[in-house]
Formats: sequence, C-alpha cells, structure tokens
Amino acid sequence: MGGELRYEIAQNAYIKLVLHALKHKTSAVNGILLGRVSPQNDVVEIIDSVPLFHSHIGLLPQLEISLILIEEHFAAKGVSIVGYFHANERFDDHELGGIAKNVGDHINRYLPQAAILLLDNRKLEALSKTKDRSPVVQIYTKDASRTWKLVGSDGNQLTIKEPSANVVLLDYISTEKWQDVVDFDDHLDDISKDWLNPELFK
Amino acid sequence: MVSKTEETQLNRLENQVDNGGGGAWEYLCLVRKLKVRRSEKVLKYGLSILNDLKKRSGLGSEEWTLYEQVAIAAMDCQSLDVAKDCIRLLRKAFPESKRVGRLEAMFLEAKGSWAEAEKAYSSFLEENPLDQVIHKRRVAMAKAQGNISGAIEWLNKYLEIFMADHDAWRELAEIYVSLQMYKQAAFCYEELILSQPTVPLHHLAYADVLYTLGGLENLQTAKKYYASVIDLTGGKNTRALFGINLCTSAIGQLVKGRNKEDKESLELQSLAATALEKDYKQRAPEKLSLLTTALKSLKVSS
Repeated sequence: MGGELRYEIAQNAYIKLVLHALKHKTSAVNGILLGRVSPQNDVVEIIDSVPLFHSHIGLLPQLEISLILIEEHFAAKGVSIVGYFHANERFDDHELGGIAKNVGDHINRYLPQAAILLLDNRKLEALSKTKDRSPVVQIYTKDASRTWKLVGSDGNQLTIKEPSANVVLLDYISTEKWQDVVDFDDHLDDISKDWLNPELFK
Repeated sequence: MVSKTEETQLNRLENQVDNGGGGAWEYLCLVRKLKVRRSEKVLKYGLSILNDLKKRSGLGSEEWTLYEQVAIAAMDCQSLDVAKDCIRLLRKAFPESKRVGRLEAMFLEAKGSWAEAEKAYSSFLEENPLDQVIHKRRVAMAKAQGNISGAIEWLNKYLEIFMADHDAWRELAEIYVSLQMYKQAAFCYEELILSQPTVPLHHLAYADVLYTLGGLENLQTAKKYYASVIDLTGGKNTRALFGINLCTSAIGQLVKGRNKEDKESLELQSLAATALEKDYKQRAPEKLSLLTTALKSLKVSS
C-alpha cells in the first residue's frame, strides 16, 4: 500500500458519528464505517456508518453481534466494513487506546486498507470559530510495521465528500439533533429502535 | 440505579418543562432524588428560578439546596462564573459549613487546580476519614486527569472501607473493562452478584466479561449466567438471548469433533433463537430476516 491511498467520507456518515459522540458526552463511544475500495485501489469510500456503543465498549459479545448484523445487512448492497470510529471518554485524551486498536486490528485482518477515525475534540470545539472545512477526526492507518500510525497531518488523507459538511454539522449541533441518534446499545435495550437511523436526515 | 418507571417519570417531566409547561422545581427535585446527571437542564431551569426573586423566595430554606444543585451543574457545564456566584452566596449564608467547603474544593477541581483541590480533600479526610463523597471526589479527580491507575488505587482503598457500595464496585468494574483487565473486572462482578443476587444486570455483565476472556471454561460459565439473566428477566433480555447463541457457537467450535455436543445445550440455543425471532417479529419486523440469517451463521454445523 503506497502513501497514495486516500479516504473519502460521505457527509451523512460523518455527521452521524460526531452527533453520536455528542449525545454521550460523558462516555467513550464507537462506530463502524461502511463503504468500498475504489476499483483503481486509490480511494477508500466511506459511504455510511453505524453508531455502535456508549457503554462497556470493551466487551466482546455486543460487538460480535453488531458486526454480524451490520455486515449481513450491508453485504446485500455490495458495501462492507472499511473502518472503525472511536471517541475517547475524556475531552483532553488524544491517544488511540487499546480497545480502539484491538477492534481496528480485527477489521484490518479482513481489509488491510481499513482505517481508524478518532474524534478530535479540540478541532470540534473550535469548529464554530475556525469555519474549518476538514473533518474533525484524526485518521490512523496501519503501516508496513503493522502498527497504527496517525497519518495525513496536512489534512489531505481524509476528506469529506460534500465540502459544506461542517456547516451542516454545526447547524445540527445548535438544534440538538444529536438527541435523535440511535446506536446499537439502544437497539439491544429496545429492539424497536433502529440502528440504521433511517429518520435522522429526513 | 434508576428504575424504568422513574426514568419515564423524569423524562415526562423534563419534556413538560422543556415545552414551557411549568414544573421546573418538581423536575429539579426529582433529578436530585434520583441522582441523575442532567447538568445542562439543571443549570438552565435552576438559574431561571434563582434569577426570579418571587419564585426564589417561595422556596424558603430550600433556596440553598437549589444554589448547591446549580453550582454543581454549572461546574459540570464549565460555567464557572455561575458556579462561583452560587458558592459565594452559600459561603455568606453558612460561613462555617463543611458542605460549602466541599463545593469550594470542587470548584478548584473544575478550574483544573488539581494540587490545591487535592490538598483541600486531604485535610477534609483527616478531619473525617469516613466522608464518602470526598473519597469519591478523589477517584473522580484522578480519572479526570487521566491517571487511571490512581483512580483504581483510590477506589480499592475506598472499597476496603465501604464494601457494600454497589455503585463503587460497578465503577471499578467498568474502569477495568476500559483497560481490558477482564479478570479483575470479573472479580468485581462476582462481588456484585454475591451481594445483589437478583439484579440481572450484574449477571449479564459478568457473562459478557467471561465471554470476552474466552476459553472453554469461561464460555461455559458465561452461558450459565446468560441463562440466569433470562430466568431473572422472564426471557425479556435481548443481550442475554444473543449471548446464549454466541456461547453455544463458540463452545461448539472449541470442542468440535472431540465430543458430541450435548443435546440440552443445542436445545437451549434454539429456544433462545426462537425467543429472539418472536420478539423481532413483533417489535422490529423489518429486521427479522436479517436476524434469522445472523442466527443461522451462529448455528454449530455438525
């Protein structure tokens, strides 16, 4: 894998994950990235995302169940798991932790191009002032030495497909849209809640 | 822990207040009673009462309780100016109060003056070594600074004195899980199950930890605890029903070819699967076919 590989995330997939983290400000949250690798093998397109958990995120059973169901659902659409999203519990924690790496490793076994996105709280907090157009996440990929490395500090490695995504995100934050996000935890507590969030962007 | 009915009541009241239907004071009282964390709302509605002279004086001596509640909520929301004002007024009203002293120390924490806060807490504990709130503040403070091993140490010390504090055991278990120290987490859940044998959540968490640890023996024990969750909840716990399926599948893979899977175990799996399918059919019919495929993939191929 050369350094040429880029990642592109769709607006809705991106916003869903950030809103999920905002809904559960006091705990770590995670999510799954879905998409495909372009035929030229130069872009990983992240088309959708599913918010996973906001409690006990270090436990395996709920993760396994969710991955089986998510994979099965998206396989029918020709879309597969291409990465993992994580937001740390503490605002000032910018490290990629053990659990995130482990889940990333697991996905990486099936797709070597898989990436981990880590929410960048500082960037998110500053967003309303900076009007930054780049995503408020850091991206980690696995290099030849098989360790997770922060890449693209210049901001070109990961881009949002729709350039005005952060404007939309700020709008959703101000209207507290995060309250409507459903994750897999919610689904397991009450299965009538849909982790696909079909109503979220309507 | 907050029960389902209490939570429904709280949410209904919150909704009412949100939509201008009144009841702010009742809402704030309920938040206090249930000890839930709704800091943004408490700050908003608490302040609206405090800033309204007529409403405020109507509270009588409860006024000071509200100042305290709003001060804590304000610190949680980083509205330090508000917190400061509330604490100043409380100090004026109760010059000798230790309870206000505790708030002042928390304010140091909120500002990030960790060393000063630590000093204040230490001196409180010297005076009163059995002050549970102060002990817990210390744990929280270590956690806030990212000093997780410190938090574990303080919590363990706390639990040596206050062994019967379930919330503290749960907190410790969750910290261990977040550090992927599953054996230690399992120990905490064992303590919780011993002291509260009929709370299904402890059984479930214990089973989840054992499944995460893996290995034949752990998986078999996990399955038993999932079964007891099903028993305690009258078959209504989705996670436990899935857990049975996961365990049976994992055990099946481990013992494959070595011995015949016992019939009872497979029967339990299909019972759990049927219960899940029935539940999905009723409450999430659009996900039923997905569930059926997923459950099939977990069936042990014999």
